[in-house]
Amino acid sequence: MNVRLRRIANRGFTGASVLSVVLLTAALLIILGPMLFKGTTAVFFHGTVEFRKVQLHEFSRGDPAALAKEIAATEKAREPIYRLLDEFRRGIDTGRLEGEARHVYRELGKQLKHRKGVGPEERIRIRRFFRGLRNTLIDAYECTDKDEARALLKEVLSHAQDERLAGTVGERLFRMARDYQELLETFDLGKREEYAAALDEVQQAVRNLFGPEAGKSKVGMPPEDRFGAHRMDMVRRYADDLLYAETWVEVEKGRPLVKKRIPREEQFAGTTLEPLFGLFRDNVDAMFRPRFTVYWQYFLDDAVPGHYFGGVGEEILGTLTVTALAIAFAFPLGVISAAYLVEVAGDNVVVRFIRMSINTLAGVPSIVFGLFGLVFFVMLIQALSGGAHKGECVLACALTVAVLVLPVIIRASEEAIRAVPNSYKEAALALGASRLRCFVTVQLPAALPGILTGVILSLSRAAGETAPFLFVGAAATTDPLWEYAAWDWPWQQVQMLSYGAYDVAMNDRIAGMVPHQQWGMVMTLIGLVLILNILAILVRSRVSRKLRGG
Amino acid sequence: MSQSPEDSDRRAAAASAGFDRPLLLTPREDLLGYVGSLTGRAGLFLIAASSVLAVFLIFVFIAREAFLFFIQGETPAEIAEFLWNRVCEVFGSTAWYPEQDPAEYGMLALIAGSFYVTFGSVLVAVPLGLLTAVCLSDIFPFTLRQVAKPVVELLAAIPSVAYGFFAVMLVKPWLQETFGIPSGANVLNASLILAVMAVPTIVSVSEDALTAVGRPLREASYALGATRAETMVRVVIPAAHNGIIAAVILGMMRAVGETMVVWMAAGNAKQIPHPWWDLTESVRTMTATIAQEGMDTARDSMHFHSLFTIGLILLVFTFVLNTLSEFLLGRMKFRGAKP
Amino acid sequence: MRIKARWIVAGTLGAILVAGVLAGSLGAAEKESLLVQGSTTVGPIADAFADAFMRKHSNVSVTVKKTGSGDGAKALIDGRCDVADLSRFMKQEEYTRAVEKGFLPVAHVVAMDGVSVIVHPSNPVKALTTGQIRAMYRGKIANWKEVGGTDQEIVLYSRDTSSGTYETIHKLVMDKKKMAPGVEYVASNPDMHKHVSTTKAAIGYVGLGFVDEKVRALRVDGVMPSSRTIVSGKYPIARPLFMWTRGFPKPGSLIYAFVTFHLSEEGQEIIEAKGFIPVTNY
Repeated sequence: MNVRLRRIANRGFTGASVLSVVLLTAALLIILGPMLFKGTTAVFFHGTVEFRKVQLHEFSRGDPAALAKEIAATEKAREPIYRLLDEFRRGIDTGRLEGEARHVYRELGKQLKHRKGVGPEERIRIRRFFRGLRNTLIDAYECTDKDEARALLKEVLSHAQDERLAGTVGERLFRMARDYQELLETFDLGKREEYAAALDEVQQAVRNLFGPEAGKSKVGMPPEDRFGAHRMDMVRRYADDLLYAETWVEVEKGRPLVKKRIPREEQFAGTTLEPLFGLFRDNVDAMFRPRFTVYWQYFLDDAVPGHYFGGVGEEILGTLTVTALAIAFAFPLGVISAAYLVEVAGDNVVVRFIRMSINTLAGVPSIVFGLFGLVFFVMLIQALSGGAHKGECVLACALTVAVLVLPVIIRASEEAIRAVPNSYKEAALALGASRLRCFVTVQLPAALPGILTGVILSLSRAAGETAPFLFVGAAATTDPLWEYAAWDWPWQQVQMLSYGAYDVAMNDRIAGMVPHQQWGMVMTLIGLVLILNILAILVRSRVSRKLRGG
Repeated sequence: MSQSPEDSDRRAAAASAGFDRPLLLTPREDLLGYVGSLTGRAGLFLIAASSVLAVFLIFVFIAREAFLFFIQGETPAEIAEFLWNRVCEVFGSTAWYPEQDPAEYGMLALIAGSFYVTFGSVLVAVPLGLLTAVCLSDIFPFTLRQVAKPVVELLAAIPSVAYGFFAVMLVKPWLQETFGIPSGANVLNASLILAVMAVPTIVSVSEDALTAVGRPLREASYALGATRAETMVRVVIPAAHNGIIAAVILGMMRAVGETMVVWMAAGNAKQIPHPWWDLTESVRTMTATIAQEGMDTARDSMHFHSLFTIGLILLVFTFVLNTLSEFLLGRMKFRGAKP
Repeated sequence: MRIKARWIVAGTLGAILVAGVLAGSLGAAEKESLLVQGSTTVGPIADAFADAFMRKHSNVSVTVKKTGSGDGAKALIDGRCDVADLSRFMKQEEYTRAVEKGFLPVAHVVAMDGVSVIVHPSNPVKALTTGQIRAMYRGKIANWKEVGGTDQEIVLYSRDTSSGTYETIHKLVMDKKKMAPGVEYVASNPDMHKHVSTTKAAIGYVGLGFVDEKVRALRVDGVMPSSRTIVSGKYPIARPLFMWTRGFPKPGSLIYAFVTFHLSEEGQEIIEAKGFIPVTNY
């Protein structure tokens, strides 16, 4: 063959091989890079005053006096926004007016219950009558024809002097009707539909940004509504919703719609709401007081259901507990099995059978381990507790994953014990030690670093597994382990980093609003596994140096 | 003549070290020692046999649940007929509707899904892994090897859920935007990620195989004037073919057994892609089916047993692959042993 | 001398471990616990209820698992959970199995929901009939242009078969017929939302509480899903959301408080905040 062609083929081959390694390195960087980088934003970010509020109310951290001062300052900066919104809303927000009317009705009901001299039948009659009035008022709010609205309001107000309602909260209804009558004279009902939807979006954005208005926070509110945007990247996202309206418009027929962004100033041009947006843009810092925060307690804190705020402390504890327990089961079994295979076993069929079993165990898919754990360990625990315990718990998880990592420990231990130079063993035996003593005092300590490598690698493997835990005890939301007595821990269900990462990526609606939590959890998991692996690599290099150096 | 003080010292030291006993054991001590060592060995054997017990239990319990899926009926004739129908349905039909009334348990689409994803990943992983192994064993100097090996090991260490996260958050939109594929959760996505996961296994086993070939064969080839490429391709790799095939099989096992990545990124449509070469279609693998439906199914329902059947199929398949790879690795070690 | 150092280190670690165990046990208290399991649609409501409960009573622990309506029912029957969230009524087999196990399951309607059919916001199609949706999911209509959209292959998403949301669609839209094999399956409502909001040619369905500006809800048979159309019965794919218990819970017990929480004002506000419709639309 042509020499030049062969040389080119050679270069090509070498190039292709080196390219493969480069590709793998690139793949490693591409995979790890974004996840680790985005995950660090869970710990390092610009936190707003809302974040400090969260820390104080939920985790009792921070200086209340300083925070109160900050809150006062931000309230002052936000006040013009609320004022503008309120003014505009009165004419537009039929939903709120409706809600107010319904609220009055409920209050009346409560008041009537405690009123003396009013029998139950009379009460029902008054309430029914008032409900009619309320519905008429609501119809008046909703109708878009001024004359019709005026007529309905007149009807409501015709009952203003009804003595049954005198001195009760019912009079507020009539005040509302009168207010609306006045408003009607100055307002153009035609444009109301247009503005209503846009105003909803603006209000929602303001709620997302600032949280509930001062004094209006309720105890039962879900976590994501209790506070405003607590990070600057969230502020930026919600500010975008506030300052720009996005609609999907048809550009060409038969083609997908195209997103169009309109500044809200255009949308609300000429109304009293227009200056709000410029005001917001100019005063963002004053309204939020961002500060660079290092939230290292992320790794210690528990998270609220949905992970809206809080950290991964509970998951870390869960993962560590399960893996530690698993190693506690697998380590003695593994090392003793390895000792047997190296020292005592002959080369017969039975031993080959054992080796084959170990290899089979190493090859079983992790989800099959999960099935096995479900049908064996979970059922076992359920049976042993007489049905009292549902079976899914930390113990079942640990046992399942112990069986999974057993081959890893056996293989690593076997290799480590074999690597101990024979001279050590022979010297000990020559000095008169029994086989057992020789093993325990000479071979095992010498092999310990290698065994340790195996243990660390199996720790990292167990920490990263998800499939075995799906049916045997992992939960998305449960009490943190530290709220239980230590001897109760094995019987609880547990949150784990690996299962949590899956749940937060696929199943959690709220976590979608706070992507830094998703990335943060994956980063913590990868970080934990990487630390363990690097530790193992270090230990192993120390071993090889030691054994090479003799 | 012995001097008394040193003598008694020596005797005391000997006594404390247990050397004051006569060298000959009494029959009782001998017997006890023998029994002791026997029990010790038996104990060790039992503990070592725990892995056999584990494998046995796994097979038994999974097969027991799957058994109830296949065996129903009173007379042997009924049982045989039911069994035959079931087997035909499982391996012949692509309709997997276990919660429908009447339920259909055709697993062909699921098996095909696993096959597609595995085959796709092996297609990418084998060249990549083999070339990397060649690089690590023959081309790179020691220092570069010390850098490259940790890279490969780190790739192996990343948890599968992190790979799945990456696949669904970053690869899926990338596929949709760059290539205009309607849905980014498909065979292509899952295969790429599984390939990256399988490569470390292939690299480490292949590297062992290539190194085991030894210097003499390589030197002979170079002496005859071959270039490095020709040596590797025509001499070393064929000599190491046992180990390399074992490596491929182990990589395949890793891909088949993987759950999280395919659950999150393969789309979960229970179909065989049509046309058969369209890798941008979504599939569902056996492992994803078990993961998805295992959490929701009632214990002791037929659906539950069908999931264990899938588990059994997986178990048997990986067992066969494992045995094959062990056999090949054994041959490799035998071949590579110096005479 | 090296050995001594090692033993000191090991001893200290052991002491810390023991101290930690003891400290943990000291800090524990007896807790009343409740396990709620089931639908991913009712899940957010249960989560919020659990959170509110645990805030009000510090010795109460509520665990919520969202594994699908089917598993919730099974867990309740098997005794593995205390309250089951279901986004559909119990099937006959489930009911009979419960009776066999010795109790009568009781349904508590906590909210109303409308299953919204959603598409990507860039999709020009704004309305479909139930017949068209059925044809799409059976594979008879394969391209958006056949229903007035762009020339794109339809990407169908569905929930898995144990989901109550799926059952609703199955009963009210699919007429109990099977879906085509090419349908991609997602595991939960948020997952469906994520896929449809990032796939231009997608169509899927979620509970009303999961519709936001990233997806668009279609008019079905001319009716847009909203609280008014669902409560009045105009919207064709409406359903109640249930919490089931074993028998009627004893008044004053934790279970009773949990399943009647939706009747309180706080509960109603939580339900509304989650995007569902409180049953007493006061």
